[in-house]
Parts: sequence; C-alpha cells; structure tokens
Amino acid sequence: MTELTAPTIPETPALSRKWVVLGGRVLLAVSLLLAWEIGARSFGTIFFAPPLAVLARIGELAASGKLVQDIAATLRVSALGFVIACFAGVLLPFLLRRSPRVTDAVEPYIMATMGIPKYALAPWLILWFGIGDAPKLVVVVLMVFYIVFITTFAGIRAVDQRLINMARIAGASEMVISREIIWKSLLPFFFTGLKVALPRAVSATIVGEFLVASEGIGHYIEHSRQVSDTVGVFAGIVIATTLVLAINAVVNVIERRALSWRPVEREMEL
Amino acid sequence: MGEPPLLEIKDLGKRFPARAGREPPPWVIQGLSFAVRPGEFLTIIGPSGAGKSTLLNMIAQIDTVTAGEIVFDGQAVDAHDPRTLRPGVDRRIGYVTQDDNLLPWRTTIDNVLFPIEVQGRLNDETKAHAEMLVRAVGLAGYERYYPHELSGGMRKRAALIRTLAYDPPMILMDEPFGAVDAQTRMQLQADLLKLWELGRKTIIFVTHDITEAIALGDRALVLSRQPARIAAEHAIPIPRPRNVQDIFALEGFAAIYERIRAAIQ
Amino acid sequence: MTRWRTITDRLIVLVIILAAWQIGSAIVGPYWLSSPWAVTSRFVAQMLSGELVRHSGYTIWESVCGAIAGGVPAVLLPFLLRRHPLMVAILDPFMVGGYGAPKLAFAPLFILWFGIGIESKIALVASVVFFIVYFNTLAGVRALDPKLVQMAQIAGASERHVARHIVFPAAVPYIFAGLRIAVPYAIGGAIIAELISSNRGLGYLVQTGAMNFDTTSVFAAILAATLIVHGANWMVNASERVLLRWRPQTAVMVDAGD
Repeated sequence: MTELTAPTIPETPALSRKWVVLGGRVLLAVSLLLAWEIGARSFGTIFFAPPLAVLARIGELAASGKLVQDIAATLRVSALGFVIACFAGVLLPFLLRRSPRVTDAVEPYIMATMGIPKYALAPWLILWFGIGDAPKLVVVVLMVFYIVFITTFAGIRAVDQRLINMARIAGASEMVISREIIWKSLLPFFFTGLKVALPRAVSATIVGEFLVASEGIGHYIEHSRQVSDTVGVFAGIVIATTLVLAINAVVNVIERRALSWRPVEREMEL
Repeated sequence: MGEPPLLEIKDLGKRFPARAGREPPPWVIQGLSFAVRPGEFLTIIGPSGAGKSTLLNMIAQIDTVTAGEIVFDGQAVDAHDPRTLRPGVDRRIGYVTQDDNLLPWRTTIDNVLFPIEVQGRLNDETKAHAEMLVRAVGLAGYERYYPHELSGGMRKRAALIRTLAYDPPMILMDEPFGAVDAQTRMQLQADLLKLWELGRKTIIFVTHDITEAIALGDRALVLSRQPARIAAEHAIPIPRPRNVQDIFALEGFAAIYERIRAAIQ
Repeated sequence: MTRWRTITDRLIVLVIILAAWQIGSAIVGPYWLSSPWAVTSRFVAQMLSGELVRHSGYTIWESVCGAIAGGVPAVLLPFLLRRHPLMVAILDPFMVGGYGAPKLAFAPLFILWFGIGIESKIALVASVVFFIVYFNTLAGVRALDPKLVQMAQIAGASERHVARHIVFPAAVPYIFAGLRIAVPYAIGGAIIAELISSNRGLGYLVQTGAMNFDTTSVFAAILAATLIVHGANWMVNASERVLLRWRPQTAVMVDAGD
C-alpha cells in the first residue's frame, strides 16, 4: 500500500527548535559520559578508566608541568613540519605554472607517490635518523606537503583566465598578477587544504611519537599503554583530541577573517 | 573630419589553430576592414557568436591575428605571435567585457581603482575622479560592498566605470549590457552616453541589438555571418544629446532601423 | 604530436628518478637505501613465494572489514535521519568532534581493548572511515532537489521507494567521493596499527624489515602497500563510473592516486 507523505517536514517554531536541539545535545553528552562511567565499572579499569580519574590525571600532568612539556614537544615538530611543507607545497605549483610541459611530465609521479602510506616510511626513517625529531618531522612534512600541494595546484588551475586578461589590459605586471589575482583566487583553496593539513600535522606527529619518542603526547599515550596505565591512555587521548579540535577552531576563525569577501555558503570538503 | 583614423583594421582574418591531426577549422573572420575616427562612437552589430568577441580580443591584443593588419594610432601592431602581444596596448585600449570580471575579493571602490592602482597613479585626484564616476552611475553608498552583494546591473556599472576611471583613449565594449533586464539596460545606456559626452572617447561597442546600436552610435557596422566581414555601414544622423528612453520616437530612427534590419537578412 | 612528447617527457623523468635512486643507493650502501633493482626483484620473489601476498592479504582484509564496519553505518545514518533534521542537528557537534579528533591517536586504545589481533585494526579503520563517509553522504542527501521527491510522491511512490530510487542515486556521487577520500586513510590506518603492534600484515613486514636493517624488504612492502592504495582507488573510480553512467562528465576533482 503506498503512502503519500507530506512534501515538507512539518515545521516546528524556530525558538522551541533551538531549545530542543540544545537539550538533545546535552542529553546525548550526558548519556555518553554515563556510558563511559558504566563501562569503567562493568568492564574493569584495565579497559576503561573512570572519567573522574582521567580528569584527575590531567590535572596532575598540568600541575607537574609535564602537560605543557609534552604538548610543546608535539607542537614543535608539527609546526616546523607544517611550515616547511606549506612553503614547498605552495612554491612548487607556482613554479610549475611557468612550464606546462614540465607539469605534464611530472604530474603522474606526484600522483603515484601520493599513494605511498607515509607512516610506512617511519621505521626506515628511524633507521636513518635514529630516535629524535627527524623521523616524525619527515612524516609530517610529507603528509602536509601533498595536501597543500594538491589544493594549491587545483586552485591555480581554477584561476579565472578572464580576470587575468582584465588585469593585463589594465596594465598589471606579471608580479602584480601573481600577487593580486592568482594568490587571492587561490586563498579559498589554500584554506581548505590548511584546515585539513594542520590538524593532520598534529595527529601525524602524535602517531609518529607512538613509534619513536621520549616525549610528546603520542609518546605518553603509547607508553601508558605499554605499562597498562589505562588512566594514562585515556588522559593522553583526551588531551590529544582537545588539542586537535582547538587547532581546528582556530583555523576556522582565521579562515573566516581572511575570506570575509566570500558569499556565505555551506561547504562540504575533505 | 580630416583627422587620421585612430584605428584601422585592414583585411583582418582569424582562424583558430588546428587540433592535433585534424583539419583546420573554418575562418571565423576573413577580409574584415574598417576604420575608426578619434572621438567616434562606433557600434558593430552582429549575430551572437564567436566573431564579435574575437574581433575585440584581437584589437585589445589578448588574441593573435591570423591574417591582415591592425594599425592603432598610426602604429602597425605585430599580433601574429602570442609572445609579442601587448594586452591593452600600454593601457591605451580599455576593454569592457561581457562578464564584469570584477575581482571578488575587492570592494566596489577598490575594484574601480584597480587599474589606477596597478598603473601607479593612485592619488587624491584620481581617487576623487573615481568617486565622481561612482556617484554618476548611481552606485553612491555601495563603495564598500563586495561584488557578490551587488546586483548584476550594479556590477556592470562598476566594471564600466573601472575602465572609464583610468581614461584610455579608446574603449572596446563587448555586449556589456546584454545580461540585464530591459529597464536596467536602458538606464545603463543613458548613463554611458552621459559619461561619454563628458570626454568623447573613441568607443567601439559591439551588440546584437539593432536598437541599442542605433541609440548609442554615430555609425553602425553590420557584420556578416561566418566568416565575418563588414556587410554594411550606416551613418546614424540622429542628433545628440539623445534621449535613449524615447529612442523609438526620434526622427530618423525607424528608417535606419529598417535599412539595417534589411541588410542583416 | 604533443601526446608523444608528453609520453617521452614522462619516460625521461622516470629514467631520471630511477637513476638518481640507483646512484643514491650505490653511494650510501644497500643497508640504508635499497636500489630499484633489488627492491623490484625482492618484490617479485616475495610475491611468487606467496609471503607478500599473505601479508598484503591481512592488511587488505583489515582495511576492507574496517571500511565496511565504518562505512555501512555512515551511509545508512544520513538516510535514516533524512526526515529528522532535529536529530541531525543534535548529533552535529558530536560528529564534527569525531571527525576532527585524531582517530589514529586512538590506536593504542584499540590495541588495549582488542589486543594485537585483527580486531583492533578493524576498529581503527572503521572509526576513521565512518566520519569521512558520514559527512560526505550527509552532503549528498542534503543536496537532493526536493522537487524530484515531490514528483515521485505525486506519482504515488512510498517512502521506501523515494529513498531507494530518488535519494540514493542522487547521493551516490557524494558517497563515492567519501569512499575515495577514505581509501588511503583506511589502508594507512591498518598499517599504522600494524606498525605499533602486530605479527602480520604489511606494517609488520615494514617494522621487522627495518629492525633487521633489511631495507629491501621494507621497500618491497611499501611498494605493495602503495599498489594496494592505487588499486583500491581505481576500483572505487571504476565502480562509480559504472553506477553513474547517466551523469554528464563533470570536471575531475582533485583526487588521490588518479
């Protein structure tokens, strides 16, 4: 039996809608926390650390200064790797733009090497550089480079040739065209890449620290696991997640400022 | 008028390059010749298609010439090789394209000032001139708006005064008012004539609308179909200043309209 | 004619890369950088002996199971919630949080919970794939033209019919976009979990190879992993092409491995 459903979803008044959504979120959050607590009690503390204990541990780490130390160690590597990769990832497309022939010749190899799982290179890098910042740095650089390169490259290709013509007729030099037209057209693409790359840089560092490190948040998580310190594992993960989400938020704010000239549209991206 | 022409087109021909392994495509333009006097408002009428824009692109030197010659201000232009093209010919030829091509990240006033800024001529005087133009076309109050916040007609106006602001001796216009509604179009035409009266620049205005061509021009050229050449030339003796809103009622309009329409058949 | 030039250009670049690699290997020694020839012959040998196939199989199996475990709920959820925008709104911050959270950082937790066997790898891959596919599918369901739904309803279609014949086909391109993005992360996630703690899989081969200074094995395993990533991409694209025959060719979006 077919049923005709209403073409639109019944409207609920806007204000009560807001409260329902807010209430629902609070309810869901509370349920998740309760589930966490119950899980800790039923499955035992090997598998689930009780939320309060995790909170207490984070407090201890903050008080002893280890929290700051580890975060700094992780961010140091991520930031450096990110900057290097951004630089290369933006510069290379601009250079390639000059020679379509070189671009065509090189493109398939860039695509091919992009498929290499970067983390798989970590053990080999450790072989070369030993335990230190270098292997993590290389992994971060590789990871971020491809993201920034691809988005910048697509952005440059997408630059409207008509705007360039207009600027040329108005008398703009190549430098001005690069700076004003190409760079500005590029910014939205660049930020899309940035939004993806920056958190990934941090998470890549953390993962790198699983394999080799003596400090850093990833090291703390993995070390805790190895000594069966479940509270430590949970605490480390909470710290790592909060860190990455905070970075996400900051990048979003920066993007909104830099791209204030854009029409507001809902974007779905990587 | 004994002055030498500002622009001479001699036997112009354009054919796009053949794709790999295929026959070369037919000539888009072939044997096209005309001249433009300084201070003249010339309109070119032709069906919508590649010919009109291609012609303007070649004059503005953003596209190469396959055959024939272009002489601008007494100097022959070497436009056969993409590498020797000089877009805008040192800012002496302005080009108002079909798309407004406003920079989306600049406000209206910054867009209008863009050529001036790029040419290093930004000062109080040029800024005041630009602001005057903004007011003249009814965009006062919208200087700090971004293009996406403006209507289509407003963006056209902004693109128009962007070219006028830096005062090139010759301006090309490619169906600039094509994509707006009839009411707005008439207003834009009136604005354009009003601004043109102030400086009497040389304008080449391309359109498919016979009424528009007659309303605006001193002289109208009719393009044939591909391969395009000048099929007919009509002087438009309607006295200036013209009231665009009542163009149909003006003396001589109907006669010229009929002549041109017949020529297009 | 330019096509030939491009092909020869690319061959020249390939030769340059291989030559540089070979020379580099000769300079630093085979323990540090295995040569192209050594890697290729080891790869072939390990393929023939079945060893590489076996370990690749584990990694692929982990990725596939994880992709299904994560992908299926991720595709279903937007469809189930299509008529409940309030639920979607309530869930949104949690989904965004989950998407933004570094799932790979959870690897030790999954190993703690599920041990070093296959389950922890599947869990990791599933968690990574879920959020990516959820958001892309959601975008697809949201992008649907409501007029098409109305048309179907006027013609007498039931809710299930609408979901299957209108909403789903419209969402398929978005679902595939999500899958395409998720593929390298799925395989990468499996390998990371193997690197940390495992006794099988390509990550295991990489780890043990490195510990034995056997860079040839390491590179052979990495080569296998790369081929798998590209192969998976190709399969996703091929199935999309088949399922979306009705679509006009749209501009190719930036894409891993295409």
